Amino acid sequence: MLTTNPFAELGVLLSPLSMQIYVVFVIIAVAAGTLLDMLHKRSAKFFTMYLKESKEAATKTLSGKDKASIAAKTIAIDIATSAEFCNVQRRISHLFMFYGFIIYCTTTIAMVFGYPTPAAPTPIVLPILWNTGAFMILIGGYWFFFFLRVNVAKDGQPMFRLVRADLFIVTLIASVTFGLIWAFVQNMGDSTATKIILGLYIFFTTALFGTVAWSKLPHMFYKPVMAFQRRVEESDGSSSLPPPAITNEGR
Amino acid sequence: MGLFSRRKTVFVDSDILVIGGGMAGCGATYESRYWGRDLKIVCVEKANIDRSGAVAQGLYAINCYMGMQWDENQPEDHVRYARNDLMGLVREDLGYDIARHVDSTVHKFEEWGLPIMKDPESGRYQREGKWQIMIHGESYKPIVAEAARKAATKVYNRIMVTHLLMDEKKPNRVAGAVGFNVRTGDFYVFRAKAVIVSAGGASHIYKPRSTGEGMGRTWYAPWSSASAYALPIQVGAKMMQMENRIVLTRFKDGYGPVGAYFLHLQTYTENAYGNEYESTWYDHTKELVGDYIDRHPVPTCLRNHAFLEEVKAGRGPIRMVTKEAFQDPHKETIGWENFLGMTIGQAVVWASQNIDPKHTNPELTTSEPYVMGSHATCSGAWASGPEDYAPNEYQWGYNRMMTVDGLFGAGDTIGGTAHKFSSGSFAEGRIAAKAAVNYVNNLGKDVPQVNEAEYERLHITVFQPLETFKVGRNEIVAGSVSPHYILPIHGLQRLEKIMDEYVGGIGSHYTTNEPLLSRGLELLEMLKEDLNHIGAEDLHQLQRAWELHHRVLASESVAHHTMFRKETRWPGYYYRADHPKLDDEDWHCFTLSRFDSESGNWEMEKAPVYHIVD
Amino acid sequence: MPTFVYMTHCDGCGECVDICPSDIMHIDPTYRRALNIEPNFCWECYSCVKACPQNAIDVRGYADFAPLGHSVRVLREEEKRTISWKVKFRDGREKKFVSPIRTTPWGSIKSPSDYDPPSPESFANQELSHEPEALHVPSLPTLSNNNFKQGAI
Repeated sequence: MLTTNPFAELGVLLSPLSMQIYVVFVIIAVAAGTLLDMLHKRSAKFFTMYLKESKEAATKTLSGKDKASIAAKTIAIDIATSAEFCNVQRRISHLFMFYGFIIYCTTTIAMVFGYPTPAAPTPIVLPILWNTGAFMILIGGYWFFFFLRVNVAKDGQPMFRLVRADLFIVTLIASVTFGLIWAFVQNMGDSTATKIILGLYIFFTTALFGTVAWSKLPHMFYKPVMAFQRRVEESDGSSSLPPPAITNEGR
Repeated sequence: MGLFSRRKTVFVDSDILVIGGGMAGCGATYESRYWGRDLKIVCVEKANIDRSGAVAQGLYAINCYMGMQWDENQPEDHVRYARNDLMGLVREDLGYDIARHVDSTVHKFEEWGLPIMKDPESGRYQREGKWQIMIHGESYKPIVAEAARKAATKVYNRIMVTHLLMDEKKPNRVAGAVGFNVRTGDFYVFRAKAVIVSAGGASHIYKPRSTGEGMGRTWYAPWSSASAYALPIQVGAKMMQMENRIVLTRFKDGYGPVGAYFLHLQTYTENAYGNEYESTWYDHTKELVGDYIDRHPVPTCLRNHAFLEEVKAGRGPIRMVTKEAFQDPHKETIGWENFLGMTIGQAVVWASQNIDPKHTNPELTTSEPYVMGSHATCSGAWASGPEDYAPNEYQWGYNRMMTVDGLFGAGDTIGGTAHKFSSGSFAEGRIAAKAAVNYVNNLGKDVPQVNEAEYERLHITVFQPLETFKVGRNEIVAGSVSPHYILPIHGLQRLEKIMDEYVGGIGSHYTTNEPLLSRGLELLEMLKEDLNHIGAEDLHQLQRAWELHHRVLASESVAHHTMFRKETRWPGYYYRADHPKLDDEDWHCFTLSRFDSESGNWEMEKAPVYHIVD
Repeated sequence: MPTFVYMTHCDGCGECVDICPSDIMHIDPTYRRALNIEPNFCWECYSCVKACPQNAIDVRGYADFAPLGHSVRVLREEEKRTISWKVKFRDGREKKFVSPIRTTPWGSIKSPSDYDPPSPESFANQELSHEPEALHVPSLPTLSNNNFKQGAI
């Protein structure tokens, strides 16, 4: 089961073209949702203003080389190691979800566009990675949902009271969970169950990528930009924070 | 509470329960462990002891340190100082007791890691003034909290204690307390052999000068919700001098501290026209208080009085002359760090208004009134004194035990102990703790029992505001206006207005009289009835609701005491317009009160002031 | 000056929720990040500002009396045992300050249980823990108990 390409099996029910159109729709939905979010909130305008003020407050001008080095650090540390999370458990959970999501998405695209029917045999590594990615998302996701959500862990909110901030994590977990169940059930050959679970999978996947304008998903784009900007501010003196103390300073 | 309520009742048993994890509570917790190695010591705090209490942002000075090791002061000197400042009326036995223990307290703080500034020449602690030493105290509270955490069996953060529990076997003996977890909503029943109340005094019982966002910038912490008073009052403990509210002269709006400025930087005040004014009110003040104006230093309230008269005469704003002192860069640094380590809000005010004391003399103001027991104040619970020298009238049991058996107090809780500040409060916590350990050890098998019917009844009472809101909410479409319940903020603003208008707040120039006080008590009575109809939307609002309950009870006590003392003992703190002068013949005494929760009556009496130090 | 939280810097860790003495730092239900729910109960104690590992919390002086354009920011470095401040006036002037916050390592306080237990006799006398040694004078001062005066003094 872990070695079969569920999309190829699905090719019996749905045409490869329809699957591919759906994936393209998802990508467009994410871009459109993010754009809609930014336009509606006028956050692009805010950031332009903010960057201008920051540049004016700079006491040092950074060279192209400086900026390139900062960008490299942002990618290697802040993005690649989820450094924005100071809480270790959250950081680990996010790394699971982050890398799991990347693996899951790329293998989905590879299988839907490259091997959508049983005709072309799928290299075994793809479904294995697809399942691995999905499991990584669920490990990080369920761990986060049950134990690490700060409004539950620190702010006393009951675990099953859902708020708008849960839109992203709930649709993500639901989508991937139903995806795995669908792949399993389809592989077992139960056609009714397959159709039902597939329906749920599509529903939650559409919800996940369709509600981008209202969920926290766009922050996956904003955060790296801000991580870069923070490093710039530390280097060019525009930060309003005091500089770190020289050890053993003070009277 | 919901169909699937996950709220449970948690029972916590201890030998000693310390309510309130501020300076006094941390002292009590530490000392309880020292003397009670095998005892169960529990500290319960409604916030987080690492930053809870009035010392959250830090302090820049320790205002109570004798310096006996260098012959700087002796405890009796401090008694004279405190007595003088409170116009003769302090518990000299309690004050001496704190003064003799405060030096060891401060030395332990230094050992624990509190940076105390040193005089570069003498090597001694850098004095700010006769009683004050200067510290880099940004982390004063986290350091002291660490000592408490090492000592406690367990520290419970985010549990608000709402009521004490009494012993069902013996009358007038405490057996524990109840409260709720502000995060989870669990109901807590604390069963203890002895209880030390070291909670907060009363801020936000009078309308503050800033009423918008600025409501938060009170001089004394806004989370000091008078639990130190309400908890003992509810169970019939006698209180003293609750009329002695304090008014502070501080920097405008931010209420930043002036001590370091006056004492260390040697600044002084002047009126709007650049003239010295304090001495111009000498004769006038002498008419009111007689020889007390001739004391050195001039009592705090009398300095306030001159300030108030000058402003009333239309010669404000009063400013502090800083331009000279701030030319010295070392003094300038001290002036700013004084705020940053203690009242950051003042630095923000100056930064926002472009006030640089090097070029501008900043404005001063007098604050709204507060009631608390650790500053230039003598209000709080009436407590038994030290066994080795206290007069018989001041001793009925263990040191720092109130008139309820097993109920001890320390810090802002205890009355008559002026000028103890942070170090004195911690020292008092230690004093109460040793006494409490002895009390517990002497109980033997005669251990108090909580009454189940009592805490079950309180269970309902404590969560009632949540129920009231949920049910009452059905009547209106939305919003904060309901004909059947009030929100905690509504009750607070009503309380503050009543106290302001009838019990001598800023709106009435700190002045009241008997007719005003009577009317104020009528309005407080109606407010008390309305407290049965507070609606709390969530646990945070529930905490605010109980803070309001405590504030109202303490305010009632303040009003009764203010009515009882028929004199103006502390002009500059408040005035009885119908008895405008100090009257040592009839009123050189303490005012005591006892609230009977069954009948709802307040019994007032006088108690003698014994001068132990000459 | 109540606190506010920078959207771009807060990662919703909850340290501020844990530390706030006023119980006003909570988690926003839309963004799962921190916010000050009751600015009129904010003392500007900066506990949350100092506790935030991302420096995501800042303060804007109370609207009642503080004009805009100022900034008072802090960096509390616990391992270094220092606190650093940067004060920016509305007119652009800046002042910087650095102070020590502790002279001993965090967690180094000796528990009272680690001292020798007090002797049975010492329970009845007036000395508290570590006395008289920690007083730095030979003995605890006391008064006689037969010298009281009443009336004005």
